Amino acid sequence: MRSIDIHAHITPQCFWRATQDGGDWHTIRREQDARGKEYALSGDSQGQLPPKSSWTPEQRLADMDSLGVDIQVVSTYAGFYNYHLDAAIATATSRDANNEVGDMANSWPDRFAALATLPMQDVNAAVAELERVMHQLGFKGAMINDNINGRQLDDPEFLPFWKAAEEMGAMILFHQGGGTLVNSRIRRYHLPNSIGNLADRAITFASLVMGGVMDACPDLKICLSHGGGYVCHGIGRIDRSWETRAEVRANISQPPSAYLRRFYYDSIVYTEAALRFLIDTVGADRVVFGTDWPYDMAQDWPVSWILGLESITGEEKELILWKNLESLLGL
Amino acid sequence: MRSIDVHAHLVPQCLLNTVDSGGEWHGLRLEKGDGPGRLVGHGRHIPLGPTQLRFTPEERIRDMDQQGTDVQVVSIHMPIVGYHLDSPDGLQLAREVNDEISFMTKQWPQRFAGLATLPVQDVDTSISELERSVTELGLKGAALDTVVNASNWDEEQFLPLFKAAEQLGALLFYHPQPNNNLISQQVNDKYAFGNSIGVPLEDALLVAALIFGGVMEKCPDLKVCVAHGGGPACFGMGRMDHAWQVRAEARINIQRPPSTYLSRMYYDTVTNSEAVLRFLIDTVGIDRVVLGSDWPFVGWDPSPAGWVQGLESLTAEEKDKVLWQNLESLLGI
Repeated sequence: MRSIDIHAHITPQCFWRATQDGGDWHTIRREQDARGKEYALSGDSQGQLPPKSSWTPEQRLADMDSLGVDIQVVSTYAGFYNYHLDAAIATATSRDANNEVGDMANSWPDRFAALATLPMQDVNAAVAELERVMHQLGFKGAMINDNINGRQLDDPEFLPFWKAAEEMGAMILFHQGGGTLVNSRIRRYHLPNSIGNLADRAITFASLVMGGVMDACPDLKICLSHGGGYVCHGIGRIDRSWETRAEVRANISQPPSAYLRRFYYDSIVYTEAALRFLIDTVGADRVVFGTDWPYDMAQDWPVSWILGLESITGEEKELILWKNLESLLGL
Repeated sequence: MRSIDVHAHLVPQCLLNTVDSGGEWHGLRLEKGDGPGRLVGHGRHIPLGPTQLRFTPEERIRDMDQQGTDVQVVSIHMPIVGYHLDSPDGLQLAREVNDEISFMTKQWPQRFAGLATLPVQDVDTSISELERSVTELGLKGAALDTVVNASNWDEEQFLPLFKAAEQLGALLFYHPQPNNNLISQQVNDKYAFGNSIGVPLEDALLVAALIFGGVMEKCPDLKVCVAHGGGPACFGMGRMDHAWQVRAEARINIQRPPSTYLSRMYYDTVTNSEAVLRFLIDTVGIDRVVLGSDWPFVGWDPSPAGWVQGLESLTAEEKDKVLWQNLESLLGI
C-alpha cells in the first residue's frame, strides 16, 4: 500500500549553510545552547531545531524508507513563516526555501511534493510567490498559520489571497507557528502545543466558515493539520451557537457542520478512538495521512499505526494513506 | 426513573431584589432594556436572560416539573462570582449566595441540592466558607470558575483548598465564564467564538491543569466534576499523552500518563451530540458521566433527561447511571 504524508516539515539547507559560521540567513541567526541544542533566532522569536531538521534529502529519504512513507508533501518549518518580519525579508526567505523544496520535488518526483511558505503579511507578495511556485515550480499549494500577526483569516484583506489560491487550485495546509491562543493563559506542561494547536485549528475552521470565506471560494482546497484540532468534537456546540445567535448567522445560511466536508483533516490524532470519531464525523474521503516529521510531537511509526488499527477498514486505510491525497494533489 | 441535574445555574433573589430596587449588589447594577435587562459591572455586561434566569424557586420548580427534572444541584451563574472583589466583599457575596442556596435546599429538600460559591481570590477565606457551606449549610460542595483572575488551578496556592475539599468530601464543579474567557479575550468575538469554542477550551484547560499540575495525584479522593463534558479533554487526551512522553516539562508532577487520571473526574452530559457523549462514556467510563442541563440556557429536545432517555447508543442501565445513580451515590441525594 502506498503512503503519502501531507504533514512533513523541512528546515532548508540554505538556512543551515548560511548560518554555518555564525552568519545569518536574511537576518535569521542560529545558536546552540550548552547542551548543543540548536535554535533559530528570527526577530524576537526563537525556535528549537530538532536533530533531524538539519538532515539532507538523502538522509530524509532513508528515514522515510524506514517509516514506510513513499511521498512527503514537504512544507517549510512553521518557525520560518516570518510574518512578524519586514515583508521584504519574508519574501526573500520564502523564495529561498521554496526554491529548495521545489528542487527536491524535481530531483525526486516520486518521493517529494512541495508546499510553499509565503509572506502573508503582504497579500500581494504572497499571491505573487504562490503564482510563481504553482506555475513555474509545480507546487501543490502552501502552508499558512492560523492567523496572520493576530489578524483573523476572514479579514477582508485576505480574500484576494483565498480567491487566488482557489483559482490556481492550490491546497492550503493550516498549521500554527510560534505561540497559540493558550500561551497567554498557561505555558506549562507543553499545553500551548498539546491543547493550543487544536484550539487554534478550531478558530481557523470557524473563521473561514462564519466569515464567509468558504462560500466566497467554493472550490478552495483546505487541509487542517492535527486532525482539524477540536473541530469535529466541538461542532455540535458551534452549530448550536449558529442556531441561537444571529451574529453567527450573519454570513452563512447553513449550519457550520454543513461545511465539515469542505475541508480535509490529517490523521495526527494519536488514538484509534479519536481517528475513528474523525472519520465518522467528516467521512473517510476527507482524512489524509500526516506524520509531523521530524518533530517530537510526531507519532511513532505512523504508517504501521494506521495499518494496525482494527476499527478502520482496509478501504478506509487506503483512502487515508494515499488515495485521497493522490486525487486531491494529483500525485 | 429519577433525574438529578448537576449543572443548573442560579441568579440569586438577593441580587435581583437589590438591583431591581435600584441598588448595587457587589458592584453590579441593573441596566433596563428590552426583556429582562442586564447587569452592568465587573467590567462587563451580563444579560439577565433568558427570562427563566429571574425565576423564583417556586417558578423554577414548576419549570423542573415540566422538564421532568427531579433534583437540580443549584450553583451560581458564573458571570457574577466576583473573584476580582477584595476579600471581605468577596466573602460577603459568597455568604449571601450560599445562604440563599442553602435555604432553597432546606425548603425543598426533594428538589434542590446546592453548591457554594467561594471567594477563591483569598484561599484561606474560601476554605472557611467551604467548611461553613458543607458542615453548617448542608451544601454538597462548590462551583468554581476555570481560572481565578489570571491564576490557573495548578498553582501551589490552591492546594490547601483542594485538601480541604477532599477532607470534607465536597464536590468541586468547574464551569468557565460563558462569554468572557480565553478565546473572547484574544480573537474578534463577532461570531461568538468565546462561547462556542472558548467554553469547551476552558473546560479542557482546567482538566489539564488539575492533571498535569498533580492535583489529582496529590488529592486521590478529591471529587471533581467538569461542565460541558469536560470539553475536548477526552478527545484531545492522545496529544497530551504524547506530550507527556516526549517533554520533560509535562512530567514534572505526574509519573503516569495524563490519560490515567481522566477517569478520576466526573463530566456532565452537556456535549451537544450523542456521538460526543458516547465518546466520553467510552473514554472515562459510565460511572463518571452525570446529567447536566445548563439550565436555563439550553433548549433540550424534549428535556434534559428526555434527551438522554431517547439516545439509541446508550443502554437502559447506562441511562440510569447517567440520569441519577452516579450523582445519587456521589452526593448522597
